[in-house]
Amino acid sequence: MRQFSELHLDALTEIFSIGAGRAALSLSEIVGDEVRISVPSVQIINAEDINPVTLSLTDTGRFGAVSQHFSGPFNAEALLLFTEDQALKIISDMMGSQMSNEELAEFEHEAMCELGNIILNACLSSMADILNFVLESSLPDYTVASAEEILHRLKKDSSQPYVLVLHIDLAIEKRHTAGNLVFLLSTSSLTNLVTHLDQFLGNIHEQN
Amino acid sequence: MSKIDTKHFDMDNIFNTINLGLIAVDAEGKVLLWNDWIAKHSNIQEADALNQSLENVFAETVSPAFLTALNSTLTHRLPVVLSTALHRSPLPLYNPPKINQPQTRMYQSIAITPIRSQQNESCGLIQITDSSSSIKREKILRSHSEILKKEATTDGLTDICNRRFFDAHYEMAVADAKRQKHYLSIFMIDIDFFKLYNDQYGHLAGDEVIKQVARTLKAQLSRATDIIARYGGEEFVLVMPYLPKKTAEQFAEKLRSAVFNLAIPHIKSPLFKQITISIGICTGIPENDDNLLNTADTALYQAKQKGRNQFISLALCEIEEYLEQ
Amino acid sequence: MPDSSIKKLLIVDDSKVSRILIRTHILAQRPEWLITEATCGEDAIALVNTDPPDYCTMDINMPGIQGTDAAAQILLNHPSIKIVIFSANIQETHQARAHSLGSILVAKPVTEKSIALTLDYFKNAQ
Repeated sequence: MRQFSELHLDALTEIFSIGAGRAALSLSEIVGDEVRISVPSVQIINAEDINPVTLSLTDTGRFGAVSQHFSGPFNAEALLLFTEDQALKIISDMMGSQMSNEELAEFEHEAMCELGNIILNACLSSMADILNFVLESSLPDYTVASAEEILHRLKKDSSQPYVLVLHIDLAIEKRHTAGNLVFLLSTSSLTNLVTHLDQFLGNIHEQN
Repeated sequence: MSKIDTKHFDMDNIFNTINLGLIAVDAEGKVLLWNDWIAKHSNIQEADALNQSLENVFAETVSPAFLTALNSTLTHRLPVVLSTALHRSPLPLYNPPKINQPQTRMYQSIAITPIRSQQNESCGLIQITDSSSSIKREKILRSHSEILKKEATTDGLTDICNRRFFDAHYEMAVADAKRQKHYLSIFMIDIDFFKLYNDQYGHLAGDEVIKQVARTLKAQLSRATDIIARYGGEEFVLVMPYLPKKTAEQFAEKLRSAVFNLAIPHIKSPLFKQITISIGICTGIPENDDNLLNTADTALYQAKQKGRNQFISLALCEIEEYLEQ
Repeated sequence: MPDSSIKKLLIVDDSKVSRILIRTHILAQRPEWLITEATCGEDAIALVNTDPPDYCTMDINMPGIQGTDAAAQILLNHPSIKIVIFSANIQETHQARAHSLGSILVAKPVTEKSIALTLDYFKNAQ
């Protein structure tokens, strides 16, 4: 997208890395073990190009999606996607108990809401802190569906031509659990986000 | 309209009737609202809780995760949820007492949302539900959706998985094996001279044979990770992870003999005069575009060529090199 | 001896924005300092060997080796360099690792407050 410079993307990556660090800290307190969450890169993708292939969602199984609606200087729909298998594995690790997948499934809905909520809040709150604005949010929703269905819904609800995409790697150190989550942010106004980024970068631009 | 309606009620009355725990705290965590539900389950009256710091209201400790969450809501003004799965019982709340039994801690689901007071102060609203009832509800919903799912993924004739389920499962199994670098075996199984059987005994008898073979093959499986599906007419496919080539071959022999031992007469079968199967196996640790299914199919073809009622086992050729390294 | 108030600082961070932020905040407080930058641990180690700085700020998550590992290698040959680990990840394992290196872990984002902590550490570690 033309509006976004490399410096903008670099700033967003740094913002979300800080969010990931906060999320990892919260999760490690729950798990009692080191949790690593990293954000390798941030992409801006044309909404029309959002599909399971461009997002590397090649698993055909069911996906879980935690979504939250954020409002503030711009409105944003944030969505966190993961395969249901991985989700159950992460939850069972977090619960630290030996449970069958069927038993775990009883807790899936709520636990995934919590896991997603921790990551989404951490990412969005670090954005709000660093760019210096205030965000409000709805409580998280959780849906289970195929990747196509979830993405279709996202595109349908979004009026914006561009979506911010982050691939997030999550690992619980000692238990050797690793997962890849996809974080999608579709905002009512990327222009407003760019404006805030410019304000943030403004003070340091001349040094550049 | 709605304004008049709410004025019909005393809000306190609503708070105290609702079947849900409600606590509101100010920015410092001092209790501003403490409804009857909370009073009942905590054994602490409203008067003893109001204006106290929430942390100190309870005689027992409140979980650190709860305090972190509350603090986070008050500073970042974003809602937080605490699930039963990960926290069980963050607040010292108890189930209603039963005769002759000690009171038990209540499993809770908690949502903390930022709200503003009429003076525009940043406050937090804590909603607590007893999650034992929602666990039961989820169980019921789950079993309902399991039934629907079963219909979409089961083969009507044999009651084993259908092709659609297999296709989805196969891709996942391959992706898993690639990622975790473990063995995956694909067995392609075909009933020998099935067309001749149909011609001789009729389609209904043919369907019976397919059912019987499916049942027999399935009965050999004991691990949750193993899947058998009807691939097409008289063809079956099996996906089994974690077996080295030798073990997969032993298992194929078990399948072959199980069907052979059914001793279903088939007078048109030139060699054995009874129902037999041919099996093609491919075992390996998939990499890149390795296609286990094609290799298993090739193996099945070879088994047919070599006289049927047997298995042929092929390795993924790249795998040999990989293991030699 | 060169003017002792002129210090050399090496900033190691893969994020350009972070490097600019650290540089800007530091120069606001210590305009006379000389600042060099590296974008990964390997480059930092090479740079230190040719032109050792007095101080260093080190990110943890970067392409290539981890910042904490790079810091350990740098301190092996240049124990007098004062290193502050800058990271968004402030879990105990990282805190402990930083302390075991005789360093401190400062939480990102880069703000006036985090820079003040950094400068304090540099000053007191002398």
